[in-house]
Amino acid sequence: MITITVNGKEIQIDKPMTVLEAAKKAGIKIPTLCHHELLESYGGCRLCVVEVERMPKLQNACTLLAADGMVIRTESEVISKVRSEMLELLLINHPLDCAYCDKAGECELQDLVNKYGPTVGRYKEEKRKVPESHTDPIFARHMGRCVVCTRCVRMCDTVQGASAISMIERGGRTRMEPFSSTSFNCEYCGNCLTVCPVGAILSRLYIHSYRPWQVDKEIKTICPYCGVGCSLFVQVRDNSIKRVIPKIGQGLNNGLLCSRGRFGYEFIESQERLKSPLVKEKGKFKQSTWNEAFHFVAGRLMEIRELHGGKAIAGIASPRCTNEDNYVFQKFMRMACRTNNIDSISRIGFAAAQKYIEDLLGQGVTSNIIDGLKNSDAILVIGGDPTAVNPILGLAIRAAARNGANVIVVGNAKGLVPIIRDKTLRIIHPVFREADVLELLLTNIFKTQDVRAEKPAIDKRIKELSEKPVKMDIKEMEKLVKILLGSNSISIVAGMELVQRVDGHRSLFAIAALTYLLEARLFLLSEKPNEQGLIDMGCLPDMLPGGRPINVGDFKHKFEAAWKESIPQDKGITLMEMIGAIRNKDIKALYIMGENPVFNLPNGHYIREALESLDFLVVQDIFLTETAELADVVLPALGWAEKDGTYTNLERRVQLLKRAIDSSSGIEDWKIISEISSIMGYEMDYSSAEKIMEEIAKVSPLYRDLTYKEIGAGDCLWPYHGEPLRGELNEVPVAVDITQDYKADFYLAIEKPLFHSGTLSRRASALRKICPEPTLKISPQHAGKLKLKEGDRVNISTAQGTISVPVSIDASITDNRVLLSNNFENKGVFNLLNFSLDKVTKAPGIEGCEVKIERK
Amino acid sequence: MFNETVLKEIDEIKGRYPDFRSALLPALYVAQREFGWLSHEAMSYVARTLNLPEAMVRGTASFYSMFKHKEAGRHLIQLCTNVSCMILGAERLVDFLRTKYGMEPDNTTQDGRFSLVIMECIGACGTAPAMLVNTDFYDNLTEGKIEEILDKYK
Amino acid sequence: MGKILLKNIENSNSADINEYLKIGGYKSLIKAFEMQPKDIIGEIRESGLRGRGGAGFPTAMKWSFAFADTKFPKYLICNADEGEPGTFKDRPILEKNPHLLIEGMVISGYAIGAEHGYVYLRGEYPYAKEVLNKAIAQAYEKNYLGDNILGENIKFHLTVYQGAGAYICGEETALIESLEGKRGQPRSKPPFPVNVGAWAMPTIINNVETLSNIPYIISVGGAGYSKIGARECTGPKLYSVSGCVEKPGVYELPMGTILRDIIFNYAGGIKSGKKLKAVFPGGISTPVLPADNIDCPMDFISMPRFGSMLGSGAVIVMDESVCMVKVAYRALKFFEHESCGKCTPCREGTDWLRKILERIECGKGREGDIELLSEVVDIMYGRCFCPLGDSAAGLVMSMIKHFRNEFEEHIRDKKCKNQK
Ligand SMILES: Cc1cc2nc3c(=O)[nH]c(=O)nc-3n(C[C@H](O)[C@H](O)[C@H](O)COP(=O)(O)O)c2cc1C
Ligand code: SF4
Ligand code: FES
Repeated sequence: MITITVNGKEIQIDKPMTVLEAAKKAGIKIPTLCHHELLESYGGCRLCVVEVERMPKLQNACTLLAADGMVIRTESEVISKVRSEMLELLLINHPLDCAYCDKAGECELQDLVNKYGPTVGRYKEEKRKVPESHTDPIFARHMGRCVVCTRCVRMCDTVQGASAISMIERGGRTRMEPFSSTSFNCEYCGNCLTVCPVGAILSRLYIHSYRPWQVDKEIKTICPYCGVGCSLFVQVRDNSIKRVIPKIGQGLNNGLLCSRGRFGYEFIESQERLKSPLVKEKGKFKQSTWNEAFHFVAGRLMEIRELHGGKAIAGIASPRCTNEDNYVFQKFMRMACRTNNIDSISRIGFAAAQKYIEDLLGQGVTSNIIDGLKNSDAILVIGGDPTAVNPILGLAIRAAARNGANVIVVGNAKGLVPIIRDKTLRIIHPVFREADVLELLLTNIFKTQDVRAEKPAIDKRIKELSEKPVKMDIKEMEKLVKILLGSNSISIVAGMELVQRVDGHRSLFAIAALTYLLEARLFLLSEKPNEQGLIDMGCLPDMLPGGRPINVGDFKHKFEAAWKESIPQDKGITLMEMIGAIRNKDIKALYIMGENPVFNLPNGHYIREALESLDFLVVQDIFLTETAELADVVLPALGWAEKDGTYTNLERRVQLLKRAIDSSSGIEDWKIISEISSIMGYEMDYSSAEKIMEEIAKVSPLYRDLTYKEIGAGDCLWPYHGEPLRGELNEVPVAVDITQDYKADFYLAIEKPLFHSGTLSRRASALRKICPEPTLKISPQHAGKLKLKEGDRVNISTAQGTISVPVSIDASITDNRVLLSNNFENKGVFNLLNFSLDKVTKAPGIEGCEVKIERK
Repeated sequence: MFNETVLKEIDEIKGRYPDFRSALLPALYVAQREFGWLSHEAMSYVARTLNLPEAMVRGTASFYSMFKHKEAGRHLIQLCTNVSCMILGAERLVDFLRTKYGMEPDNTTQDGRFSLVIMECIGACGTAPAMLVNTDFYDNLTEGKIEEILDKYK
Repeated sequence: MGKILLKNIENSNSADINEYLKIGGYKSLIKAFEMQPKDIIGEIRESGLRGRGGAGFPTAMKWSFAFADTKFPKYLICNADEGEPGTFKDRPILEKNPHLLIEGMVISGYAIGAEHGYVYLRGEYPYAKEVLNKAIAQAYEKNYLGDNILGENIKFHLTVYQGAGAYICGEETALIESLEGKRGQPRSKPPFPVNVGAWAMPTIINNVETLSNIPYIISVGGAGYSKIGARECTGPKLYSVSGCVEKPGVYELPMGTILRDIIFNYAGGIKSGKKLKAVFPGGISTPVLPADNIDCPMDFISMPRFGSMLGSGAVIVMDESVCMVKVAYRALKFFEHESCGKCTPCREGTDWLRKILERIECGKGREGDIELLSEVVDIMYGRCFCPLGDSAAGLVMSMIKHFRNEFEEHIRDKKCKNQK
């Protein structure tokens, strides 16, 4: 224990820290410009000077380690004088254009000068000129205002790990460059913007549109993009979002954001938002009133229910909608439409994986704290690039690598390549054969580490697998096994490419078994913000809220009692099965809430045909999507930032979403559904989202007793007050082996870009500016072979069709795969892909699609 | 991009240090030798060869004054004008280079023959004034001696 | 005192290992290998050797810190950046006596437990690089370097790392950053390099001259060595004399030789019979001394009493014709150019001082400029991250103190009287 005295106050600290940190603990703020609490000490600005008894010179609090018995003063006449002098030095070359600068009001330099002076400057020489560039679409940089604190450089380098900014030159010519543009690995996270103390780095999204003190309100909410669920502060003026910022100490992102979270909010105020309900008459949409629309939808659904029974109706829920929306949705499908045909697009990823693995290992196995990743000594990454899918989770992996953790990547993870320089990264390229690699790893580990004899079904399957091991030659296998066995704290991070394989369940079993054998922590990457919540709310054909199996009498009866109606007998079917059933005319009506299957499912043409053949299609959305265009009725919903509710993130943290702006055109999803349900004879009259959560907290054994108050206070973490299910399978479900050689010239695979997410980001103009159009990513070797240069246009064709896009050469690809994203209108990779179902997970396997590339 | 031999050379350099980032300065020297100066392209080759972020390479390269960020003439004259050289007349020599050869500090002569860089102390103060032409050392300079020397560099 | 560090350098072949062996080279190495590392450090302690890089820190003390650290590997770095203007004392060792340095480094490595050494050589010494590399190859060949040196279970490898033109890289922590392939910006201390140095491992950094003293100390013993030079500041010292003297050059003399002696006796007095005006006794980072204050013993302990420092022992002599404002301006141009840019007072202060001095020198001085210079110096002094900024401030301070009238003249006459 170390005791120091700061301004007469005794402070006790139990671990080594600087005087600055110790003082902060006691609530004493020492002014700094170069120091920032998210960054390591630097000691450049010299503003944090303090007096230390028995030390002759003033000391710098940010670099001075607190030592027992130190007596420190943080303010005095001498100290003020020095601070004023340092500020004078910082101002001599500063443009002093505060009147014009957007930072005024939250400028640390201005505030410090205000407090310490100087009031006049003695500098009469010419000011330095700093080269400026105004080409960036997002960042407005005025480097003349820079105070060379290097916070942006250190943020980009040591926290974000992108290393896109550097100090250039030295002495008085020092400046910060080059920031953005793709060749400098800029990830447009904007975290440099957060830490810049002055107006040197600003965002064009709000520049000259308001002053920081002119916001009407600031609302804390959750990001609409991915399953991490970062906390955002939405600043609103005149019912319009001016800026979105993170805050230190708030939310799991603790002051950090990614490009989507920070700059992706503009979609909500897009001109393309749906303005009123639309009903199709003779192939044309006509605006209608809400009342007409409600009655029309209810009427048609009742007709079909009476004529063909509930099993002819199906519903698709949405991982972008809140828990409340999804809860009401499945209740509506089950109670009013009388069907268990409920699923979501998460079937092709998170939901399939999550359910399969929980079935094997018990509920809760995937609920691990993202921040804990930093403390791992080994991290196995498979099936996706965490830094693109879940950027803030990706940062935790980079941080772990910086702390010396070994990171093993099976597949592609472009955003982790930069950490190679830390010597801890190993990459294995499986070219679609993830399952083989993982089984091989599993059986190799099993050779030295026996089963735990806790889960007989898994133990049995591991033994079976090791009897006929996969034949595959992986150079580094021995080393990997050694690393994993030698690590105390192992994390496995699994992306959803794993699921999108015909043998996806093999990979899933292998990671489940590895998690079990190695006592690892498992993280499932989640592309949408509420995939976990969707499952928890029972938007699965065979699960009721709380993850309760529908075919277990006990659970069923409890829900029937609560919902005052029987649960339909018919077994529900999964998403891709629904498409088949629609094509077979077994399903006649489909109700889609906030989803765009025509674009977001493989073989778009096939899906479109199916939906076109429906008797009745209802789509609730905020935009007229490719799917909505096919609907008989389109109902405009409210979007993120316009409504209250909760999301459950991939850690299973429940978080509060808050209304920040009012929309005049849409209605909450749950409200639309309640109205229709009531007309159909199943009364629902919730007065607010909070009221729905009250019901959920009553009926769901998992969310028992949760209140908005508790959720809003933060850290609403698994297992809440609920009771996790412990039931496990007696037999691991397996399907016949499929072996395939990947020998064609090129295979098409899905790219998950950092700057986009689903089709939402299409309408976020900032993200569109950063990444305006799709490109075909190809390895340098193959580009060379085809004589393709960056930007050359090519036609890519599969049996499903042809798309023409420019190529972009990507050194992180080293095999014969080419990647295309699914985020741009008319150019989605899913239009070109075909699929066949994994018999176990019922997810579509979409790998190994041969593709032809021709120069245009 | 670098040819095979150069790549091998850089690889060999990497092996001399516990962390390969140390190879950055040596690799920049190699790039400068190969391309004459450090264009953005040359620095991006270095970045790719060492798998370092390009910004990091640029930031580091720009810190050191012996890395050339501009295309130089055929011969690089690095003349010291620091205190010891200055008090023995180095500035007169700068004037001489200006009037006689049309050289300006940090610039290249019209014919591309010479580039002039004013140096800080080059450790030849005992025989000041001194200069380097490319990597050749010359000291005890006078106007006459400079004329004689430069005649050798066409 | 016979020559120790510059022994045999008149021999045109002195850099060759055979020549070095002929005069008894590498004998100390053999002797050192018969000693325990801690006994070697003991001899160094007894010798009273202080670092020759400028700060005069007792070498044995530094070594024992690194020796006591249990982390491995440890590194030994020879600071051959020699960037201080006026300094060219390490160059003759590097170019003419490289084996003395190599021998010193192998012994030092053995003493502190380092198996790898790096010579951080300034970029502007291409010839020294060639010589050193050749000498290292020879030493490997003769098994003075390698995995089993002289058949003993002692390992030491040596690599030359070429700097690229940055004075600040002479500062030890900046040097480490540079060696790691980064911008040469100083790190904050503590932790000191002896505990957390290159690649975060315990690292000893010594100047070329310091390390070149080691073989001699081993051969005559610490006590024998300490008889040379002044009390508490022992051994031979290389003084590099430049500027307005008849015989500029590097002089190997006992530590504590009187400055006046160095200038008037060894360096042959002022050139062309002119009058002495001022001296930088240890490079331009040390405060300037006026002509009447040069009876000072040139060692680390005595110099501060005379208002300056020994620094690197680079004596720059200025005669009556030299304009002190111009010298100050040129010096500040140097410091501004070499400031690493990390800390506010150095980055902005050197720039400001240079601009004012430039104005005064070219006849645009204003009333109050001298006071302003002093004020800026006050802002900077003692506030910088590393000694570079403080030196710049110190230089201006000493210039104003001793030559205020020249500054006043410039401002009053709106020109430098040396300019026609
Ligand atoms: C700005 C600055 C420049 C320096 N330059 C050199 C140099 O060129 N050579 C050198 O040996 N020491 C230089 N030093 C001193 C080193 O930091 C360090 O003290 C020295 O290398 C230690 O070696 P020694 O103990 O053998 O003297 C410099 C220090 C500073 C602050
Ligand atoms: S990491 Fe995900 S939740 Fe966080 S800001 Fe980015 S997109 Fe939003
Ligand atoms: S001052 Fe010119 S070489 Fe030293």
